[in-house]
Amino acid sequence: MERFVSNPLALPPHADGYAWSDAQLVVYGVDHSGPSHEVRVFLDAPDADATTPLLLEAGYAGCFTVFGHGGCYGDDDHCNPNARFNDEYDLRLPHQSQPQTKVVGVSEALRAIQGDSVLVTLVAVEPGPEGGPKVSDAFRADELRLVTYAAPGDANPPKA
Amino acid sequence: MATPAALATTRIRFRRDAARLTPGQARDVRAAYAGMLALRDADERSYGHFAGLHGLPLPFECQHGTPLFLPWHRAFLYSFERAMRDRVPDATLPWWNWATPDPEVGSIPSLYAEAKSADGANPLFSVPVSEQALQEGVASGRPAPGSSTIRDPGVGGRQLPRDTEVAQLIEIRDFQSFNDALEELHGQVHVWTGGHMGAIPWSGFDPVFWAHHSMVDRLWRLWQMRHGTPGPPQEIWNQALPPFPMTVSQTLDVTLLGYDYASSTASQAIG
Repeated sequence: MERFVSNPLALPPHADGYAWSDAQLVVYGVDHSGPSHEVRVFLDAPDADATTPLLLEAGYAGCFTVFGHGGCYGDDDHCNPNARFNDEYDLRLPHQSQPQTKVVGVSEALRAIQGDSVLVTLVAVEPGPEGGPKVSDAFRADELRLVTYAAPGDANPPKA
Repeated sequence: MATPAALATTRIRFRRDAARLTPGQARDVRAAYAGMLALRDADERSYGHFAGLHGLPLPFECQHGTPLFLPWHRAFLYSFERAMRDRVPDATLPWWNWATPDPEVGSIPSLYAEAKSADGANPLFSVPVSEQALQEGVASGRPAPGSSTIRDPGVGGRQLPRDTEVAQLIEIRDFQSFNDALEELHGQVHVWTGGHMGAIPWSGFDPVFWAHHSMVDRLWRLWQMRHGTPGPPQEIWNQALPPFPMTVSQTLDVTLLGYDYASSTASQAIG
């Protein structure tokens, strides 16, 4: 896919101050069997595209890189990890095309978000004909999850 | 992790910053590459053989996205460097310090970026891709970017990692988080370099691949020194790292592999 815009994802309550110290966007099941590309993460910027500035003010939160296999060079199912028979006696290394998990730190961008939910936009880019970035359709993934972490000192103060 | 000097019966060698090699050290690296390139790809001591282990020709042997990423590539570089030293005993792999204070001015070290060297054509600039790899690319409808390696550094708005990112990376305590963050920066550098380096099947052929991965390996070593632990979970220490005759545990201490990373060294004969 070229772009992905999430549904509103719930945020921890702001009312008593920030209840988290660290925030990450975790993207599961990232396919890396195709061409290499970069996936840019924007918060509350549903119209973001390859031309959107990589600035906090534009909602830019970070990116991850897919260092890709560039397609399959074998016969049928060569790059299909599900075509393997696996059991507890399988001592082989993991399948080369096993989907990956990517983690992007989004703390700074998430602190700038007001409200109780956030839209996550993912934009996949690769080099364009003019040397700049262009939108890529190489991106495939299963799920994203916005995760916040709280240290003991981050706990919200009790309400009066 | 301190250097276990008591275990060392032979002096370890130092991998050095590619930007700070002496003319003689640079000459050794070029001569070692040239020697490996002069061998036929079917010869397991050749440059084409090692380059092809990472991607094409099939099978791809490299490990990405798993806890084996760092151990496998350490074994890969170790084996490649041994083959370099079979050609030129004093040669060591340089590392490319791609961490930059300003991503706008990041660049490939001149050792690899200049077509000519003091000795003539520079074998660190561009090399031929093995014929079998080229044929497999054509047969699958995905030909190589070129029959000899090329680069497109920085095209597409990409940037090299900042030095501040690398400093933060070393401070990460949890190994898995460190591993994931380092692999991400590693991927950024592959894609920033572009050309053959930008895709797994071809990247091993670019001469700068080895300097890039030496930097990755160096950062693992620096992380180990900073945190006093080897890193990978013990559950995988007995895991083999094919096609190399090594296990994960054998990759955990670079000094036991006979090398280390130095920003500088100075020595003097005694007596």
